Amino acid sequence: MIRALWSWLRSAGGDGASRTRSRETGLWVRAVYAKETLDAFRDRRSLLVMVVLPALIMPVVTLGIPYLEQRQQHEIRTTTPEVAVVGEAPHLVHLAYTTKLIKPVHTADPSKALRERRVLAVLDLPKNFETLVARDEQPHAGVLYDQSNPDSVAARGRVVELISRYSQAVVAQRLIARHINPKDLLPVVLDQRDVATQRQLSGELLASLLPFFIAMWAVVGGMSLAVDEAAGEKERGTLESLLVAPPSRESIVLGKFLSVITASVGAVLVVVVAMMVSLRWGYPYVMHTSQKLDVSLPLGTAIVMFAVAMLFAALMSGVQLALSIYAKSPREAQQFITPLYFITVLPALAVQYITEWQTSSWAYLAPVLNTFFAFRELLLGTVNWGHLLLASVSSAFYAALAVEGAIYLMSRESVIFRT
Amino acid sequence: MRIAPDVGPAERAGPTPPAEAQRLLVEARDLQKRFATYHAVRGVSFNCYAGEVFGLLGPNGAGKTTTIRMLTTILRPTSGRARVAGHDVVREPELVRRSIGVLPENAGVYGRLTAREAIRYAGRLYALPADALERRIVEIADALELTQHLDRLTDTFSKGMKQKVNVARALIHDPAVVFLDEPTSGLDVISARSVRDFVLRFKAEGRCVILSTHVMEEAERLCDRVAIIAGGRIRAEGGLDQLKADTGKELEDIFVTLVEQGTVT
Repeated sequence: MIRALWSWLRSAGGDGASRTRSRETGLWVRAVYAKETLDAFRDRRSLLVMVVLPALIMPVVTLGIPYLEQRQQHEIRTTTPEVAVVGEAPHLVHLAYTTKLIKPVHTADPSKALRERRVLAVLDLPKNFETLVARDEQPHAGVLYDQSNPDSVAARGRVVELISRYSQAVVAQRLIARHINPKDLLPVVLDQRDVATQRQLSGELLASLLPFFIAMWAVVGGMSLAVDEAAGEKERGTLESLLVAPPSRESIVLGKFLSVITASVGAVLVVVVAMMVSLRWGYPYVMHTSQKLDVSLPLGTAIVMFAVAMLFAALMSGVQLALSIYAKSPREAQQFITPLYFITVLPALAVQYITEWQTSSWAYLAPVLNTFFAFRELLLGTVNWGHLLLASVSSAFYAALAVEGAIYLMSRESVIFRT
Repeated sequence: MRIAPDVGPAERAGPTPPAEAQRLLVEARDLQKRFATYHAVRGVSFNCYAGEVFGLLGPNGAGKTTTIRMLTTILRPTSGRARVAGHDVVREPELVRRSIGVLPENAGVYGRLTAREAIRYAGRLYALPADALERRIVEIADALELTQHLDRLTDTFSKGMKQKVNVARALIHDPAVVFLDEPTSGLDVISARSVRDFVLRFKAEGRCVILSTHVMEEAERLCDRVAIIAGGRIRAEGGLDQLKADTGKELEDIFVTLVEQGTVT
């Protein structure tokens, strides 16, 4: 491809023959592209996977998971967990009732009840607990809970809170009895305030979702076309007719590559739009908040992101096409492409946990990873133009390498007639 | 457009020995092709002229398809040389491709395209100007009796109809040399017959036709000269009548004898 571009540029100012040649190359690329795109549009299945599926699935995925999480949180906040209390402590129990932190119950075998999840925790108090407290001793209380059960872990938190409040009340009584102001124990009061704007919060939300879906659909969107256009032609017995026609291997591969990248970018666009729409209008509706999420991106950021996504899609399309050319059959092509899917989705998920690499220039030269670091910067609004340039140039280079590899494979008779 | 509707098998010319006036269009000289584990073609030489049907006869695996693939520039000969329409297949493959029409063995179709779209795609690959291409599609469909099916998806076609679409694709640019690799294999009697009629038409139009087959009857009906290939070598070559006269045998007997010799050597 690099060679093709170079000869194209050179022939623009060159003699008549090379100008005719580059004109023909243009015609061939267009002919192959038009045919492959038409063919793909007639294929209901690939259209379904590329357009309909993401449009339906994205709202469910972007809203469903936060909704379920919110529902669970809400449940934990509003229900009072039943906790078995062993031992007598009327004041503590009274506090539990008035604060509604836990609902004390009596059971014969508290450990068994906990194991069977009839109670969510057990508060184990020593004999004469409140007498010991009144005598200024330091009795030990125990809480039993089940780490594997999130509701039990929440109940443990409630017990800790209850004991802490009870202790504060006791401390206050003791201090007052000694004529000391309880405030003396708190020389500093800390007020906390969150300064993250709505834009940053939604940026973080987008940064955790968008790269993953872009990675996924950049691969999935172009997959059926890539498989069909090379391995599929081998299987149908149409490849040989194409190769005995005048177009150079370069023009054939370029035409096919462009149609794969169109599908890939198309699928990414559908997914991103579906996600933005569901976050913007679906989020407040589903999440019981009056606040709308500000997921609108500044136009400039959106354009730069699109360009970065396109370079990534180019790399994916080039690699998929090369694998498909190498494969003997569509089935084999699918098998080759599946690992590619995991290779791209894993870094997309991982970037948010390896943020320490974000400042190193090398991270912006690594294929695939560079794209996701660039996305993160763009979405969080911490853009470093040097990083972006590195990521774009290196992505373009890898994509060109992949296409060059596809052309090489298409020119190898041992690959074309691989059996 | 040189496909003349009134030319049929009845007008078939007898075996035409290559006259001096005839243009030499395919020239193979000691072609060899060695694959990693298999020496497929071990020295094949022949000439083929305009207005002539040249048959490559041989059993499966004899090297017919490999020979055709070398002449159509998609396999590079290990040694030897070949010129097609005056161009060297190794040094000027793109010029060769412009002058040939190829119907590969077991050629398929793009099922999601209509016949017209499939033929148009072929025309665009030969960079034919749009209006001339549309006229040519109509003409060629007419000659192949495809006109009323032009706008149907080729997936719905019978095997014979699909083969017609491929014939149209191979001829869209009016090539001087036509390669047909087992063009009737898997076709029913009627479709096979119409494909054979086209072969005779191509010849009448002055094209040079190289036809590979393992069906003797087909070779006898269509070919002016044949080469019998076995084990990657040409075992006999010449006009059909001449071969019969030399050996005093029928073509099938000549073929069987030569092929059996070929497997022994």
